[in-house]
Amino acid sequence: MPAAEFTPVQLQRLREHAGRYSRPSFLIQIALVVCLAAIPLVVPSFRTMDVVAKIMIFAVAVASFDIILGYTGIISFAHGMFFGLGAYSIALVCYHHPAPQYYHLLLAAGLAMVLSTVVAVLVAVFSLRVKAIFFAMMTLAVAEFVHILGYQWSDLTMGEDGVSFKLPGILASTWDGGQFLGTQLNGRLVVYYLILVISVVLFLGVVRFVRSPVGRVLKSVRDNERRSMALGYKVIHYRILSIVFGSVISSLAGALFALWLSYVNPDTVLGTPLMLNMLLMVIIGGLGTVYGGIVGAAFITITETWLPDLLKAGVGLLPPVELLQRLADRWVLFFGLAYVLVVLFFPKGVMGTIRDMVARRAAAREKA
Amino acid sequence: MASQATTATLDATGGRDVREIVFWVCAGGIWLLPLMAIDPTTYLVLTVAGFAMGMLLFLSAAGLTIIFGLMDVLNLAHGAFFAWGAYVGFSILNALSGLGWVESATMGQSIVSVLLAMAVALVVGGGLGLILERVIIKQVYGDHLKQILITMGASMVMAEIIKVLWGPNNEVMLVPLAFQGSYDVADVVINKFRVAAIVAGLLVYGGVMLVMLKTKLGIIIRAGVENREVVQTLGYNINRIFTGVFIAGAALAGMGGAMWGMFREQITPAMGDENLIFALIVVIIGGMGSVTGSFLGACMVGLAFNYVAFLMPKLALGVNILIMAIILLIRPWGLLGREQ
Amino acid sequence: MPEPILSLEAVHTHIGQHHILQGVSLAVKPGKPTVLLGRNGAGKSTTLRTVMGLTPASSGSIKVDGLAVEGAKPYEIARAGVGFVPEDQAVIYSLSVEENMRLAMRNETEASHERLDTIFRLFPALRKFWRSKAGVLSGGQKQMLAIARAFVEDHKLLLIDEPSKGLAPIVVDQLIDSLNHIKDQTTVVLVEQNFHMASHVGEDYFILDDGRVVHQGLMDALVADEDLKKKYLGIA
Repeated sequence: MPAAEFTPVQLQRLREHAGRYSRPSFLIQIALVVCLAAIPLVVPSFRTMDVVAKIMIFAVAVASFDIILGYTGIISFAHGMFFGLGAYSIALVCYHHPAPQYYHLLLAAGLAMVLSTVVAVLVAVFSLRVKAIFFAMMTLAVAEFVHILGYQWSDLTMGEDGVSFKLPGILASTWDGGQFLGTQLNGRLVVYYLILVISVVLFLGVVRFVRSPVGRVLKSVRDNERRSMALGYKVIHYRILSIVFGSVISSLAGALFALWLSYVNPDTVLGTPLMLNMLLMVIIGGLGTVYGGIVGAAFITITETWLPDLLKAGVGLLPPVELLQRLADRWVLFFGLAYVLVVLFFPKGVMGTIRDMVARRAAAREKA
Repeated sequence: MASQATTATLDATGGRDVREIVFWVCAGGIWLLPLMAIDPTTYLVLTVAGFAMGMLLFLSAAGLTIIFGLMDVLNLAHGAFFAWGAYVGFSILNALSGLGWVESATMGQSIVSVLLAMAVALVVGGGLGLILERVIIKQVYGDHLKQILITMGASMVMAEIIKVLWGPNNEVMLVPLAFQGSYDVADVVINKFRVAAIVAGLLVYGGVMLVMLKTKLGIIIRAGVENREVVQTLGYNINRIFTGVFIAGAALAGMGGAMWGMFREQITPAMGDENLIFALIVVIIGGMGSVTGSFLGACMVGLAFNYVAFLMPKLALGVNILIMAIILLIRPWGLLGREQ
Repeated sequence: MPEPILSLEAVHTHIGQHHILQGVSLAVKPGKPTVLLGRNGAGKSTTLRTVMGLTPASSGSIKVDGLAVEGAKPYEIARAGVGFVPEDQAVIYSLSVEENMRLAMRNETEASHERLDTIFRLFPALRKFWRSKAGVLSGGQKQMLAIARAFVEDHKLLLIDEPSKGLAPIVVDQLIDSLNHIKDQTTVVLVEQNFHMASHVGEDYFILDDGRVVHQGLMDALVADEDLKKKYLGIA
């Protein structure tokens, strides 16, 4: 009986799969998770934990954005909206119950997922009916509209002031579990680890999605839609699937964000600044490289947290000209510059450039 | 079955034209609907307000639509030109106020003040357009995603520089005396500046259409919107024309901003983003590359906004997004865009 | 031998990753209408577009009347005296016939007005539809407008890409007529699949295949050579 014949592609995949635990990237991933878990024990400063938690949350949100923008090739400004949907679900459910329980959180998460799916399907269907550029502009207008709605529909969203709420049980900020091995156990710590676990799970989910057959079809649709259709793939189904998946993950990330801050308002979770941040993160990280989301989220969040202080300190060294003082206040300006410079000189982003270098070195080695 | 028969009958009797006529009748008649909920006097006041707002939106949208139609460039920094025009106009009027030309101005002084503010805003807008086109836009022709990103970045930088130069707070815009207040025409109160805005808008529309229809440049631009390559092969340096068009669009947006400031009597650093959303909606409704389309679209947006703002204030912006969505679904090329 | 009005030497053109022209070398004699023949995908249209600068050559040299034009922008090449009639969409539909012609007449001189008269004689339909939008013209009339537009300016070289495509035989004959009228005032380089048109207009020919010139010579010889026609053009 002849041995089963594998195609070259299948052979390569088998080889990759077999060696997946010994590759350097896997070890880096393990090391990363260990570091993240160790941070609250090693550097218990609130600011550090805050930055790291936000990086994890945004890494997930940006990775899910990469599915839509980088892998499916759809320019959409609506992603921030889904983030806000998740955040507000958690916030409002917990707000309306004086003593929220764990199941409320699950309820809210479920609600967020259902809502996101419905809206995502609408968005996906709409994207198929209009040209890409119109779709992009439409999502920009709609995202802005939802932002304004967040302000104005005070009956639902409590308007500008936002929603402040309590978390149940050991997640509550008031919970105190005493000391354990020299660390103060409190609600914040528990929420941190909850976010760590869920983020890792969601992120791995995104990676799995992208590496799966579905992900491969998406790449082929992005690169050559007509050919994919000719090969028999129902592009519509795949597009809807990818948009729904990406949006639901984003709303879950938003839910985590709400858990962390115990507070949401239209500007932080629904606004254009959030959307622009995510866009910059995905570009800096690299489009079409899910892991780029981590890099981008880390870079932007760290910059956002420490740049204002850095600027003020720097300006303190210079003569007290008012113009310079004002410039230091306007660190957003440097973000804008970053946008322009990254697009012009670094369009593949960090991960993209690294992958290119690795690929080029591999190709050179093969030729030699 | 019935719809098949209808379509067949329609097609036989020059159906496409009938559908066009039906569309235009609906598009026109819909503006009389609010009369069911608003009394005629208020309706007239709102209509004038709507047209005035429309004219000012047209100034911004006209540039955006030609830039996209001709150059295939999506310029999200267009709102920044608008904001800069407003702030520059604000400074001019403040300076003139120091000369006593604004608060207690004569008719002549008022007109000159307004024209001066508009003219400087025009020049500054154009200058910024030149810089942006040469430095940034040139690098990203052909790539929509890069254009979106880079113009967003540029927009952020420009807005932040406004905050650096003028401060981050809202400012009150001084309006020359002769343009303050309103006319009372048979119980209908019409704000004076709104009339000025409508006049200005009509003049600009007339001027732009004159250039587009009667001059060689207009022919070149209209041809380029349809087919860039052919225009190049006929010996025209399309890049220089692009730059010129971009500058003109930015200049108009700047002028629109200065007038908007006087219209609202207030300027904010965020007014650029607000205007961009409106301009995008107008361009989509009107059709990419069509000046008359954006004229009509701007009127529609202005009217819709004002009627709905009166009846249900929270939905004013939402109504315009709804119109945009409907147009995208039933007539994606817009009112007067090219049928693809 | 007179200086060729157009000469290509070892011209390579890439479109994206595709290597379309793989070393095209040819020379067009002034006043001799020349036809580029070959099957689909051979690179005929790409050759014209490369000369015009629309798809720039990756290597090789292109000279128009002795002037090197490789790497030049399309508008510079047009100003050097090269007219171009593309395969589709040559005519601007939303402009009137008059505006299409005005667009083509960059400098409205005496000479161009004289040529306009010639054009009206050759294509009376254009005068009839002068103020109508070009979009309402029939296929044949659009093609005539496209050629008229390329001819109204004084060009040394007229590159025309498949003018007979999609046209009825009687219209093709009118086109042949008009091209024969203008061929003494400018050098016509034609890309054609329609051998009837090619043989009635062209005096020299080049056959392209796989991005290279595989055969060249006098049109009269080609018309008489059945084997050659069958081998390269599939014409029995």
